[in-house]
Amino acid sequence: MGRIVLEHVTKSFGNTQVIPPLDLTIEDGEFAVFVGPSGCGKSTLLRLIAGLEDTTSGKVVIDDQDMTEISPSKRGLAMVFQSYALYPHMTVRKNIAFPMRMAGMSEEEQNKRIETAAASLNLTDYLDRKPGQLSGGQRQRVAIGRAIVRDPSAFLFDEPLSNLDAALRVGMRLEITEMHERMQTTMIYVTHDQVEAMTMANKIVVLQAGVIEQVGSPLELYHKPRNKFVAGFIGSPKMNLIEGAEAKKHNAETIGIRPEHVVVSNTDGLWKGTVGVAEHLGSDTFVHVHGIEGCDPMTVRAAGDATFKHGEDIYLTPDETQIHKFDAAGLRIE
Amino acid sequence: MSNRTLPRLLQSPAVFLLLIWMLVPLSMTLYFSFIRYVLNSLRKPEWTTPALSNWRGFGNYEFVLKSKDFLFAIQNSLLIVCSILFLTVILGVLIAVLINKSFPGQGIVRVLLISPFFVMPAVNAVLWINMILDPVLGLQGIAVGGINDMVDGLRAAPGIGWFFSLWPELTPISFRATQTSAYAVIIMVTWQWTPFAVLIFMTSLQSEDQQQKEAAILDGASTWSQFRFLTLPHLGRPIAIVVMIQAIFHLSLYAEIEIVSRGNGNKNLPYLIGEFANNNIGAASATGIFAVILANIVAIFLLRMVGKTLME
Repeated sequence: MGRIVLEHVTKSFGNTQVIPPLDLTIEDGEFAVFVGPSGCGKSTLLRLIAGLEDTTSGKVVIDDQDMTEISPSKRGLAMVFQSYALYPHMTVRKNIAFPMRMAGMSEEEQNKRIETAAASLNLTDYLDRKPGQLSGGQRQRVAIGRAIVRDPSAFLFDEPLSNLDAALRVGMRLEITEMHERMQTTMIYVTHDQVEAMTMANKIVVLQAGVIEQVGSPLELYHKPRNKFVAGFIGSPKMNLIEGAEAKKHNAETIGIRPEHVVVSNTDGLWKGTVGVAEHLGSDTFVHVHGIEGCDPMTVRAAGDATFKHGEDIYLTPDETQIHKFDAAGLRIE
Repeated sequence: MSNRTLPRLLQSPAVFLLLIWMLVPLSMTLYFSFIRYVLNSLRKPEWTTPALSNWRGFGNYEFVLKSKDFLFAIQNSLLIVCSILFLTVILGVLIAVLINKSFPGQGIVRVLLISPFFVMPAVNAVLWINMILDPVLGLQGIAVGGINDMVDGLRAAPGIGWFFSLWPELTPISFRATQTSAYAVIIMVTWQWTPFAVLIFMTSLQSEDQQQKEAAILDGASTWSQFRFLTLPHLGRPIAIVVMIQAIFHLSLYAEIEIVSRGNGNKNLPYLIGEFANNNIGAASATGIFAVILANIVAIFLLRMVGKTLME
């Protein structure tokens, strides 16, 4: 079990309120990702759930039990930190055993759990090494192992992949997602990387300045962003937001079109611009187009073998059905 | 090869100087330890100048080994050094952990805590033995006298007087006495060197990873477990360094011993050397060689210990 409910939770440091009253429910077995720019309060929110920070007001309810005043160790949650937070003078085995040792579990049971966890995380050969002798990815796996053996009702991840290099990050992303599929335990994952959010989550919580901008599945957020902030944050490259005359034609203050929903042509189209930088990824080419009114530069996706030269004329036609409309307050218009 | 010759040539003066610096006193001590050499002798004036014709072989060593103070001085050296190490490390860790938390007046408290370290050893000894430990005029004498007066007054009180008349009269301890002078030295040196330990441990505590502590909290570790399993291992290296530096310094304590009791009941090897050197340079040199051996034994142990913690 691991149903986590936040009721009117607020957090202030001194006189600055970093989290205004906030309500959120994370269902049992869900993979929820808190995503937002740095400083949006997502890590603070996670620490409030873990109990490492006290709430200023409001309630944290885990499995229908009010945990607001309960100490972190009794909440039945396990956390994986960005810096791994392994105990440097203990071997991998002792690191993984630490929470069980603190709980007074029998040696036999400890060893059984360590073996199982090590086997599932490919750590069996490294059990007698110290964290200093491991690579970043292995250290992160030890940290996950230390969380798994506690058999927690929910896992909390605080930007666990930020210290890893790009290739390893993709690998670990898959491993964590698979682990969730296998264990079906609630997981809360904090990241500033929207790609991680899109690929891993059942439920994405987009935060800005401590306020939840939108909660939904990855595709909901992609197709129906509730406001301009979410529209710009989710999707890579970012959605193009166009203001002015073009937006007025659609009876909106701002319209948004994603790079992948624009048809690119050398000869004719709705909008005319000049090619700036073209980024060739092999599978796709992202072209930065200058000279479009209300949005400069506009990023569009073209075929991988497209050959656009710097300074060339280019014609763009947006897919009318994929245009997002926003009003003066930045909210979505259906 | 020639590209190495020049650097070596340039290094050689420094190396040469250091060698002389070390080897000359050591070989002179060795030489003196094997000859009869005294500063003043009416009976044998030829012994007052060092010469090979005064060769005594291991005679000086035998003389030192047989002198009644030698074994006592070694034991006492070890007692003083070990007690000071034990006390400073424990007090140092406790105080460092205590003042590592933030509280108002933190800066002033830290400066005050460090200040004993800047007192000269001789001044430290004079202050302690005369103003604090003196059984009559020192704080000790005043405090004991005060308690005795108070108990005396209470004996006359109605109702509870019988209880206090069971109390014995307290006598202040004389720290210049044969049995206690070593403890006086241990107390005053501990007072002076605890700040050193605190300083080193405090800097180390500030580099402790807070996320590790948070992880431990979530793992269910109590405050004591966090201290035992995280903070103490983290302090392993600084403790080794404090022990090593202090052991080197305290093996050669002199001023405190001289001032407290002039060696009465409390000698260490340097003090014994000093006593011999009043006249018998040969015996003093032999004791010096014993001191070198003792220091080396201690150093081997320490280097093993420190080496082990530094390797991890």
